[in-house]
Amino acid sequence: MFRATVAICGRTVVKRFISSVSGESALPSNLRLPSNLIGVPREKRPPPSGSEHPLLRRCEAEIPAHLAPSQTWLHSLNSCDSETLGVVDLHPDVFSVPVRLDILHAVEVWQRNFKRISHAKVKSRAEVSGGGRKPWNQKGSGRARQGSIRAPHWRGGGVAHGPRGPTSYYYMLPMKMRVQGLKIALTSKLAQDYLHIVDSLEIPTPDPAYLMDLIKQRQWGDSVLIVDVGDEFPQNLLKATENLMTVNVIPAIGLNVHSILKHESLVLTLETVKFLENKLLWHDVRYSPLYPFKLPYNDLP
Amino acid sequence: MSLFGGLLRSTVTFCRSPSLLLCTRHFTTGSCSRVRMHAIPKLKEVDRWTEKRSMFGVYDNIGILGEFKAHPKDLIKGPVWLKGFYGNELQRLIRKKRMVGDRMMTEDRHNLEKRISFLYRRFNRYGKHR
Repeated sequence: MFRATVAICGRTVVKRFISSVSGESALPSNLRLPSNLIGVPREKRPPPSGSEHPLLRRCEAEIPAHLAPSQTWLHSLNSCDSETLGVVDLHPDVFSVPVRLDILHAVEVWQRNFKRISHAKVKSRAEVSGGGRKPWNQKGSGRARQGSIRAPHWRGGGVAHGPRGPTSYYYMLPMKMRVQGLKIALTSKLAQDYLHIVDSLEIPTPDPAYLMDLIKQRQWGDSVLIVDVGDEFPQNLLKATENLMTVNVIPAIGLNVHSILKHESLVLTLETVKFLENKLLWHDVRYSPLYPFKLPYNDLP
Repeated sequence: MSLFGGLLRSTVTFCRSPSLLLCTRHFTTGSCSRVRMHAIPKLKEVDRWTEKRSMFGVYDNIGILGEFKAHPKDLIKGPVWLKGFYGNELQRLIRKKRMVGDRMMTEDRHNLEKRISFLYRRFNRYGKHR
């Protein structure tokens, strides 16, 4: 037995020695990807730097002196093979905030729960039909004393502590927390290379296959959320995305953390970026409300 | 595999020392497959990209992004007395009676009133919290 254990120990020692000596890769075997894996890994395009690309948009709001604007490419949806049009500046206080995952989680959970109304309801012993009369005398019958046939321990009786009536799970997070959640979501998308800025949403054909081709060729991911300001969208885009389930178009007012997290990639137009920066930066410099914001203020935009 | 346990045992018996036999434990590294492979229920297939699921949460920030003309609580679909309201059972029932009580049917109204008086007595008269 001793010889057997020595032999086993020797084998493992030899394996480790071989792997350290060969030095193919420091990754353990369960993290190494096989070489015949289907599916091309995303090639990260290096972020724009240097002055050779034209700067097509500067931030309207003032950027603090100690921060520099984050830059990203500007694409166009017009043709599959078109290269980037240039470089766009994004405000650092919206697109590179420190990523607080706890705030993101709190906002996502809030979105799931505040609208929830659970309609589960069971009848209590008072609501079940019948059961007003005492089934048998208190004393003399030999059976246990019972007061009604709809008591909770009876078959067909009411439930003692069941769900009662439509219940709401409504609560509100502080406004600044919800705003910060949006900023963090946008920051994470930019940092993970899933945020794409587009000049306009015009496409040449209303064919959904064109969009899928474009998305596949540019490696935008499985699902795309397209955001634009205003009510009118180009007809071609609406027709193309009508039957596509993973590519969705929403107005800028409808942007929210859950949709950003659900869709793999986010596409914003230049007007959307301006709108978002305007709305989200205001909360950093506003006074706390004396009365709800829905009532008129003379200095609110 | 279980071969190895057998091998170990055989080497021990070959050594023929009683102390070593007592030291070994019977072990096996294989499984006898007690899992009944034909009776495992199938996973239910959930489509994660239906209209409802892909559009969930849209307009939740309508106040922040939309100049505060609407509030997210206006988006809630449900009974009138629960929109934008959170409370325990007694508070919900009292609110229901105030808002919708005139329109209710007689039996429902009677049950509501019985439940309100029962909960009032339970919260305010018995127990530690009153």
